[in-house]
Amino acid sequence: MGIISRALRNLSRRKVRALLVIVALSISLSIMVSIPAGLMANQESTSAMANNLGNTITQTSQSINETLSQIDVSMSSNFAGFGFSQAATPTPNTSGRNGGSTSDVTGPQNFGGFGGAGGGQFGGASGTASPMNQSLYSDIADISGVAAVEEILTASQGSSNQTTTFMGRTFTTLITDYTIQGIPLISELVDGYTVLPTNITAGRNLQAGESGGVLLSQNNSKFFDVGVGDEVKIVNETFTVVGIYSPSSTENIQSLYMNLSDAQRITNNTGYITSLKVFTTSSELVDTVASSISSLHSELTVTTQQDRLNQLQQQQSLYEEALASAQSSLAATEATAIQEIIVVVAATSLIVLFVMLYTVRERTKEIGTLKAIGFSNKVVMGQFLIEGLLLSTIAGVVGIAIAAFAAPTLSSLLLPTVGTQMGFVNVGNATSSTVTLSTTLMLEAMGVAVLLGVVGTLYPAWRAAKIRPAEAMKYE
Amino acid sequence: MSKPVLQIENLNKTYMLGKRLVNALTNLNLTVNKGEFIAIMGPSGSGKTTLLNVIGCIDKPTEGTVTIDDVNVTKTPENKLYKVRRDKMGFIFQSFNLLPYLNARENVELPMEGKIKSREERKKRASELLNLVGLSGRENHRPQRLSQGEQQRVAIARALANDPAIILADEPTGNLDTKNKQEIIKLLANLNLNQGTTIIMVTHDTNAALHTERMLLLKDGKIVKEKEGLHLAKKNSKCPHCGAPIKITDDNCQACKKPLFQTDELFAS
Repeated sequence: MGIISRALRNLSRRKVRALLVIVALSISLSIMVSIPAGLMANQESTSAMANNLGNTITQTSQSINETLSQIDVSMSSNFAGFGFSQAATPTPNTSGRNGGSTSDVTGPQNFGGFGGAGGGQFGGASGTASPMNQSLYSDIADISGVAAVEEILTASQGSSNQTTTFMGRTFTTLITDYTIQGIPLISELVDGYTVLPTNITAGRNLQAGESGGVLLSQNNSKFFDVGVGDEVKIVNETFTVVGIYSPSSTENIQSLYMNLSDAQRITNNTGYITSLKVFTTSSELVDTVASSISSLHSELTVTTQQDRLNQLQQQQSLYEEALASAQSSLAATEATAIQEIIVVVAATSLIVLFVMLYTVRERTKEIGTLKAIGFSNKVVMGQFLIEGLLLSTIAGVVGIAIAAFAAPTLSSLLLPTVGTQMGFVNVGNATSSTVTLSTTLMLEAMGVAVLLGVVGTLYPAWRAAKIRPAEAMKYE
Repeated sequence: MSKPVLQIENLNKTYMLGKRLVNALTNLNLTVNKGEFIAIMGPSGSGKTTLLNVIGCIDKPTEGTVTIDDVNVTKTPENKLYKVRRDKMGFIFQSFNLLPYLNARENVELPMEGKIKSREERKKRASELLNLVGLSGRENHRPQRLSQGEQQRVAIARALANDPAIILADEPTGNLDTKNKQEIIKLLANLNLNQGTTIIMVTHDTNAALHTERMLLLKDGKIVKEKEGLHLAKKNSKCPHCGAPIKITDDNCQACKKPLFQTDELFAS
């Protein structure tokens, strides 16, 4: 009959009490496990959020630096209308592109013309881009301070109409299926500037001098149902998909990229572009170059990136605020967690303490008898310590089992969710991190359970050991 | 000549009862030889149980010496006394004091735990002892399934566990009916006779006391009278009424049918 089996029999002797204690202890232990688990999840998600924010901030900084030296140039809206009607007059080759974009909205190719396409590139300045004769603007490259000029043809393509009724009248709008971005694939631009998407998720990017290849966005890839290496029909020509990119926040999710000459050919716009992007040699020269362009071509809208810069900087400070608020929110959660753990640890020790004190009191006579028949103080103390340990160990196992199922619920009940006040900043959400119990955490919790068992039983066991047998015998 | 197993010299024991100082034992001297069967009698509050507790090393005397097997236990430090209790003493209590969650054999094994390492050996000895007190076959019964007489037998077996120098019995028949009283007292008398166990028994029961060799009357913490007992088991006594030989199992004389123990007037004169 060992000391442990005696302890077990004593526990089973008072089944209801043992059960109540185990339930109470296991609940507090499961709380004790869930809080750090929840805290860890919160820390994880906050650090993920901080990472995301950090990346966004870096990206934004890069955008700011890049855009600082850029100027967007497009046909002023004043000229948009007659830019086409007069097309026959100033440009000798427009006869070749008969009606190329004026009224072909319902034409056989269902080519949507240039309307509304400009918005894709860096949230471009003007909503409606009109075609510009490429040859007329070659002088821009000669302006001092201009490093490079990117000629862009943007054209949206739709296949279906959406009709809306407004105040009794019916309007028909073309739904854009994709937007063609024609970019000159010359090594000066492709290798020297960011003129193509950078986030390639499959295949490769377009290369200088390439023709007949197309870079699709993930949306395009779904729309055409094609992958890298497949052939895809754009307007009326077949292209090979060289790669797929994931659009950045400044790229149009419907844009597909190809060589400018390919884009011009398939849209019947040879010699025409919709916008220019002018790269200056330094950001200080931007204003000078912009006014030079304006004075050379009064019909053009010249936009520097000052507005965009302001916008980006504002965004930047929002991101930084969001990060700071998430961090302070995490700090607050950590403080709450520590307080709760202190309360639970204290409560658990007190439960063990009172139950074991009661047990010792109740068994005073038994203790007296054991001592009278030759049990040492050490053995008597050990007997009660082992009972307390058994109780807390069983409760520990049960508590961890409860926590394994209920940790997410418990931690969400007990801990404030770490989040950012910048609700609209879509950079990570604390609640998305799952609360999981690691083996280390479970073992630690078991250790804490055993420790609390010892701490709570130490005093009652000591009391038991100090009982004087002669007096204990009189106790009923 | 037997050698003394217990020597008590100038024993004083005082304690505080509220604000009153109580002299539980006063200048008490006693020598008990090995193999003796002694009854300590006396009215309530005369110090019987205190004397027993001091002998059993579960209470400390205020003054005086107690020597057990040539060892002065009053000088033994508190943390070593458990060994004296375990190896030299066997306690029998009025209310048996068995552990309810252990069966008969496990209760008997308890005192051996610190002394006999082998679990098998403990089991074997416990079974033998239960056999000796007439409980063979009931080893696995828990106390609540045993009669009171049987429970006291288990307690006696437990007291014998470590082959003690002295068995201290505090009112061992106090909670028993007449039939069980007789059986327990005969069991103790037989153990004394056959095993040579020294027994010191506190009792109110003169009938039980007559089975011993020596009866001590305690009053106000002092031994005021000493008489010789009958110790029927040892002395082959004769019926005080008709002179016929009597046996330990007899309650009444086989010849004259008169009760053998009408001893209320024992300490009267």
